[in-house]
Amino acid sequence: MTRPRAGKPFGRMLEIWLPWTGVTIGILLVLGPFLATAIRSLLFWDADGGRLSLQNFATLFQDARFYQAVGNTLLAGAGATVLSCLLGFALAWIVSRTDLPGRRWFEILNLVPFFLSPYVGAVAWIYLAAPNSGMLQHWLGALGIPLDFVRIYSIGGVIWVLALFYTPYVYLFVIAPMRQMDAALEDAARVHGASFWYTLRHVTVPLLMPSLLSGALVVFVTSAGLFDVPLALAATRGIRTMPTEIFQSVQYPSDFGRAAAFGVVVMAATILLAILQRQYLGKRRFETVSGKGYRPRLVRLRWRGLVAALALEAVYIAGGVVLPTLAMVMVAFSAIWTGRLNPAALTLKNFDYVIFGYKLTQQAILNSLFLALVGATLGVMLALLQAYYLNRGNASRRGLVDALLSLPLGIPGIILGLGFLILAVRTPLYSTLTIILIAYVARFFPFATRTVSGMLLAINPELEQSARASGASWLQCMRFVLLPLLLPAIIAAWLMLFVIFIRELGATILLYAQGTETISVALVLLSEHSSASMAALAVIQIILLLGAFLLFRLTRVSLVQS
Amino acid sequence: MDAFVKVENLRKRFGDLAAVDGVSFEVGDGHTLALLGPSGCGKTTILRSIAGLETPEHGSIAIGGRPVFDSASRTNLLPEERGLGIVFQSYAVWPHMSVADNVGFPLRVRGMAKTERAARVERILEIVGLSAARDKPAPELSGGQQQRVALARALVHEPRLVLFDEPLSNLDAQLRDQMRLELNELQDRLGFTAIYVTHDQSEAFALAESVVVMNRGRIETVGAPREVFRRPRTPFVARFLGLNVWPGQFLGPTSAGPEGQRYAQIGLADGLSLWGVVDDNQAVTAGTPVVACLRKEHIDVRRAGGQPSPAAKSTCPGEQTFAGVARAASFLGLDEEYMIVIAGVELRAVRPASGVASGDAVDVTIRPQDCMIFRATAGRLDE
Repeated sequence: MTRPRAGKPFGRMLEIWLPWTGVTIGILLVLGPFLATAIRSLLFWDADGGRLSLQNFATLFQDARFYQAVGNTLLAGAGATVLSCLLGFALAWIVSRTDLPGRRWFEILNLVPFFLSPYVGAVAWIYLAAPNSGMLQHWLGALGIPLDFVRIYSIGGVIWVLALFYTPYVYLFVIAPMRQMDAALEDAARVHGASFWYTLRHVTVPLLMPSLLSGALVVFVTSAGLFDVPLALAATRGIRTMPTEIFQSVQYPSDFGRAAAFGVVVMAATILLAILQRQYLGKRRFETVSGKGYRPRLVRLRWRGLVAALALEAVYIAGGVVLPTLAMVMVAFSAIWTGRLNPAALTLKNFDYVIFGYKLTQQAILNSLFLALVGATLGVMLALLQAYYLNRGNASRRGLVDALLSLPLGIPGIILGLGFLILAVRTPLYSTLTIILIAYVARFFPFATRTVSGMLLAINPELEQSARASGASWLQCMRFVLLPLLLPAIIAAWLMLFVIFIRELGATILLYAQGTETISVALVLLSEHSSASMAALAVIQIILLLGAFLLFRLTRVSLVQS
Repeated sequence: MDAFVKVENLRKRFGDLAAVDGVSFEVGDGHTLALLGPSGCGKTTILRSIAGLETPEHGSIAIGGRPVFDSASRTNLLPEERGLGIVFQSYAVWPHMSVADNVGFPLRVRGMAKTERAARVERILEIVGLSAARDKPAPELSGGQQQRVALARALVHEPRLVLFDEPLSNLDAQLRDQMRLELNELQDRLGFTAIYVTHDQSEAFALAESVVVMNRGRIETVGAPREVFRRPRTPFVARFLGLNVWPGQFLGPTSAGPEGQRYAQIGLADGLSLWGVVDDNQAVTAGTPVVACLRKEHIDVRRAGGQPSPAAKSTCPGEQTFAGVARAASFLGLDEEYMIVIAGVELRAVRPASGVASGDAVDVTIRPQDCMIFRATAGRLDE
């Protein structure tokens, strides 16, 4: 029984090579588009042919449109960051620190926008608040509330929709520390004479500042780089932003040099911000969670507080979830959309057409499902191997590998799409679904790696070592011990990637071709001329996304119980 | 005795630190060895190297006559190829499996049929007294039960060598005593060879037939528990076992005691001197720095002035009494522990309660045969 078997060199190789392969693929996926963009930005073509030159940068920096785009993008990012920090902090505080009735439900509802498509949200807000024809204008006008001042096609409109979708990021960043904070820190202030508001301002908020700023930075970088919302609300009215400018540069007559130079500027800024953040977080970290501390007491809301809290929740959930979804549903079920719901003209024919009659949308749904299912699976497999390497592998190289693999986290999708476009052009991969799949995995695997790595960090290596010492090979140890233990993280990471891939637009918009459109690309194409088909397709996408959200909740609940 | 486990000249570095620095020892078939030492002394690294969880830079390890690691021939078997059992300090009971699944795991990966597996799991669970918890999920177990699951899992495939990494240190005192007895009994019954790693001397002495005391990656002493306890070979071992250590230097030649021991006199601070036993193979040269090691229980403490005290500077070995001051007294139950200061040196003494209080002047009496003298350089005198 205990007679050992002969040594298996294959098994031994697997243990080292498999995680290493995952890391290598990850690094290639990151560096490929980075280097392609950087090199392309230095190539300039004129009458004499191509040569190495800084001409692309020189032209870009002399172009007023560049500064307009950068200015607008910084403004949109900053505005969205401030607004979503205020909303996210307030909502997290209401849910975690007050006795608001129904806060368990609000806790879940506040996260729903995290799972929805910002592009659909932006288009829905056009239906809701477009000048003259908007539903809200109509409804609120009937109540005597004029909404003439609302300009949805503006940077203000972009900020509003971005804030709705990025509030859950801030919310997630601050709610855990808010819950776990030692109540004695606040109670000490109250006992020594500080009022409630004084304590909030001078104790609670400063203590949560590191978490809040981390959330703010993530929101700034990702919201400023998001292509979806400015495409719907700014580009249509000639307002320039960074992502839409890069998109424009690649459209006919295309100027890849300009797009690449723009991309290099954005990448450099993103990496600089990430370095600054690491230094700030390294310097400033408070011990707000003490082992023996007691849980914060819940604040009892008097009726005025109750009304304010409920109103804030109502505005957020209506603005982020209910109204946009309702608008899309109403348009999708109407034979012709006139800006008002006509109960007599309700119909299912838009869905019938989108699902059974229209080649573009049929293909788009299939493509998106393929990309999401295969992409999420590949992404999670990569993430598992990388997380294993980062937590169990050669310790000396971990820091550098981790930094390299985290690079795509802040890089806008459209810039990574540009990188892959430059890489794939004139190769057989060009205009295939495969290149879109590769770009998706490259852009988003770090999210899955983070999720899996976070859980792996909490697993005592002795659990695996005792399996090995019990006679299990590395593969058996993975199959019987580590993977089952990591299952919650694997499911969470898979669902997260699924949701992201179903709605992805920025990386796709430069890479799709006829036959490889995704749902989001089809929505953009249809938004020009066919609002009914577009709305029906959007509703189908919303159903897929909410389905994933439900699965997420269900699996998490059942996993907690087991 | 046949060497079942043979460790030779093992070396392992972590960065600049030599975690294991040339260690060799053997364990006989069916015997039990304890690796004893403070944390960071390299004992766990040795255990993990034997299990194949750590790769040493140098040396060789053979189990049952088969080399499992040899730096010269570049042999290094994977942990699963070494056919052992291991019990970790954390128990490492898999939380996603039931008790039976945990215990049956070594049989499962060896491809044993389900029915036979179930029977063997049943038998081993009975031996460790866990039959009732068979289908319980692992997270519902108490610490003591988890420890039994880990033990059953390490024994179920009947390995000839079982490794224990601080197996009892997470249990409360009562459970620890019980498990210690049960482990002894199990080993008698199943006849496996065992290596324990522990920092607790009483655990090592109770469980093992031989004890290896380690310090900074090296072996300080090897021996049977009684031998190690009675005659700590180095100042480090003496200190580690809780003995008082009193520095001084040799004064002169030795004189033979009644049972053939060699006595020597050493000079202490403030012109005091002390007779003690010198190890046989130690050359005695006047002026060599030495340390005198005294067991707490062997220091007699009385309130001063009770009776006339004999001369502190005697010329032949006999009881010697020193004047000191009690600095602290703590109540231990039947006994009391005193901290005594003599000529600037702190000594601890454990005596039946005698009413000495902090601040009292005391007479301290030491018998030469209770006082072990080592060269200060023998072994490394490290805290």
